[in-house]
Amino acid sequence: MAVATPTTTPAIPHAVLDHIHPEPQGFIRKYIFSIDHKIIAYQYFITAGIFFVIAGLLAEMIRIDLLKHTGVLTPNVYNQVYSVHGSMMVWLVIIPFVSGAFGNYVMPLQIGARDVAFPWLNLAAFWMFPPAGLILLASFAFGAPDAGWTEYPPISLQAPYGTSMWCMAIFLIGISSTLTGINFLVTIFKMRAPGMTFTRMPLFVWASAATAGLNMVATTALAAALLALFLERQFGVPFYDPTKGGSPILWQHMFWFYSHPAVYIMILPAFGIISEVLPTFSRKPIFGYKMIAFSSVAIALLGFMVWAHHMFTSGMAPWLQLPFMIITMLIAIPTGIKIFSWMATLWGGSIEFSAACLFAIGFLITFSLGGVTGFFLAAVPADLHEHGTYFVVGHIHYVLYGGSVFGIFAGLYYWWPKMTGRMMNERVGQLHAWITFVAFNCTFLPMHWLGLLGMPRRVAMYDVEYEFWNQVISISSFFLAASTLLIMGNMLWSLKNGKKAGPNPWGARTLEWMISSPPPYYNFKKVPAVLAAPYDFGNPLPYVGLEAEPGAMEATPQHTTGFVPAH
Amino acid sequence: MTTAAVEHGHGGDAHGHDEVIYQETRDMRLLGFVLFLCSDVVLFSAFVFAYLYLRGTIDEWPPILNGHQLPRLDLPFAEFNSVVLFGSGVTMHHALENWKHGKKGLFDVFMGATIVLGIMFLCGQAYEYSHAAIGGWSSSIFGASFFTLTGMHGFHVFCGVVYLAILWWQTKKGVYDTGHYFGLTAGTLYWHFVDVIWVGLFFLFYIF
Repeated sequence: MAVATPTTTPAIPHAVLDHIHPEPQGFIRKYIFSIDHKIIAYQYFITAGIFFVIAGLLAEMIRIDLLKHTGVLTPNVYNQVYSVHGSMMVWLVIIPFVSGAFGNYVMPLQIGARDVAFPWLNLAAFWMFPPAGLILLASFAFGAPDAGWTEYPPISLQAPYGTSMWCMAIFLIGISSTLTGINFLVTIFKMRAPGMTFTRMPLFVWASAATAGLNMVATTALAAALLALFLERQFGVPFYDPTKGGSPILWQHMFWFYSHPAVYIMILPAFGIISEVLPTFSRKPIFGYKMIAFSSVAIALLGFMVWAHHMFTSGMAPWLQLPFMIITMLIAIPTGIKIFSWMATLWGGSIEFSAACLFAIGFLITFSLGGVTGFFLAAVPADLHEHGTYFVVGHIHYVLYGGSVFGIFAGLYYWWPKMTGRMMNERVGQLHAWITFVAFNCTFLPMHWLGLLGMPRRVAMYDVEYEFWNQVISISSFFLAASTLLIMGNMLWSLKNGKKAGPNPWGARTLEWMISSPPPYYNFKKVPAVLAAPYDFGNPLPYVGLEAEPGAMEATPQHTTGFVPAH
Repeated sequence: MTTAAVEHGHGGDAHGHDEVIYQETRDMRLLGFVLFLCSDVVLFSAFVFAYLYLRGTIDEWPPILNGHQLPRLDLPFAEFNSVVLFGSGVTMHHALENWKHGKKGLFDVFMGATIVLGIMFLCGQAYEYSHAAIGGWSSSIFGASFFTLTGMHGFHVFCGVVYLAILWWQTKKGVYDTGHYFGLTAGTLYWHFVDVIWVGLFFLFYIF
């Protein structure tokens, strides 16, 4: 990558911004109905965090039930618990965390913008999110949804009123996602700092752009599926009921046309986080910048063509199986490119094993394992055996917990100093990373062989021969849940007692680290011209005309691990 | 980092970034609106997929209900109603063009005609619904797909009529001039979008 020096730079106009809107002063306008993307991001963090705790407690209820092969809960309650657990984790925790929270906070800062394109739309999108969660939780009072997070008809047609509330809640959060997607795409296309071409954007911005595109297109398809389910349940309009000429498989097509892209909505921003964390903590330029950037887009596009691999056993047309299997396997190529690029970034770097970096490395391991089992499931002959077993549960948790949630934790440790101006306790963070990694694998790895042995998913009681491993899983899951207390305590502790972070505690090079922590209301007093992609460690920073915070541009990290890398 | 380059860069500003980059500019709104229409297309496409999928599950269309094959839809009336809607697209086009050229009198005529034609289309749809011989909304997959899709389209037309009425009111309030009229552009785009969706639905339900 060319080292850009100011003398050879053509005249890139930098934006002089003398017109800065005053910050609102009243509590309501400043913190509740703020249009500042950073405040909205905090709101997403807090709300999604609360739902994370609730959905996590539901998960522990599942594990308590499975401690005994005869079950502890009644099967009816058990069905409701795992259905709401899955729905909440997908729509009210991971998607709001990665897009709403990290996307809102980091993306505008990284492209040198003052806010997103449509701040009012951002505000509206956030305020659809808490009501959606409350509707879903309230469904427990009316007979919660009990057909899993996928809500296949005809079971979901026969369920009590709670399933209709589920439709409303997911519809609402879907509209929120669509609006956020439109907002982010316009922001990324139209509001980058002068000189920031597409190939100079930070990789998290690339990932956000691909995710926003998916959110904008796929979520509307889900809205259609939900609307049809709602109409059929409330007004008897036949779409899915086979006794009235409908087709339950139609739901599966419409649902998975959204929900397969949705797994990329959940994982692509985590890819972006990893792409920011790894170069910073190995102090090396990211390997294969363009390949990582373009593979995000390739994954987003291919993600639309693979939905029916969830339906190999559904009785759909058999000739569809082969193309869907092959296209699904093709996704391993752009994903593999990313994994190898990240490994090459680490290779030979002066790696600092901070908590964020440990989570990123843990992500590489667990997500790769989840990718490998995904490959098994994509193969039609293997899937016929594994479909509907605990193997699938193991796989989905490897990619969603070991992928998305590890990415979220890495991002939290990484951007916490920027968001709050305080450092978390690094040793507790590293302890959290290690306990989470071990407990995670003890929890979800045995699910694979339980599934291969034939234990079905979504059952409240099971054969006695599976009891030992289920107890191992349950006890590990208690440790996994308890480990989350470490990061929660760490956050609360750091708000008051954490060391002052300064603008750039990690010595990172993207734009958000050039301004104070936390950033001022207007983000950038002067918006810089950008001369190159940000990852050229060892070279001068590629920003011209920036009023950087004192100390931000030296790129000297505070070594938190006590380990000073040799040069 | 020398400031000389910065000053030079600022002095040689030929791109006009300085003023506009942090305001909600016209092209941002246009892109946002077009993206919104794209995601709306997906909403219709998903239901069209459902319709075609359900249609593919039976051998003969229209489906058989209570031992009798349902009739096809009334084509001549739908043709008349389509002409009404397409006509409103033409008048909307002329409304925008006249606004651009400052001909406010003609703009009012064409805008009014668009809204009247939109309401006529909705009335025609109400007439068609009340006289449809294919049974009710929940009687069969024919009713389900026809009434849901055309109903969604009708809802979009209704929203469009309201939207155009608001825009018309805004022009009276002096919100737009001949150089700045993004709302009218968006309204025109939306109205043409509703037209185009109708072309698809007309083909799928009345011809196919």
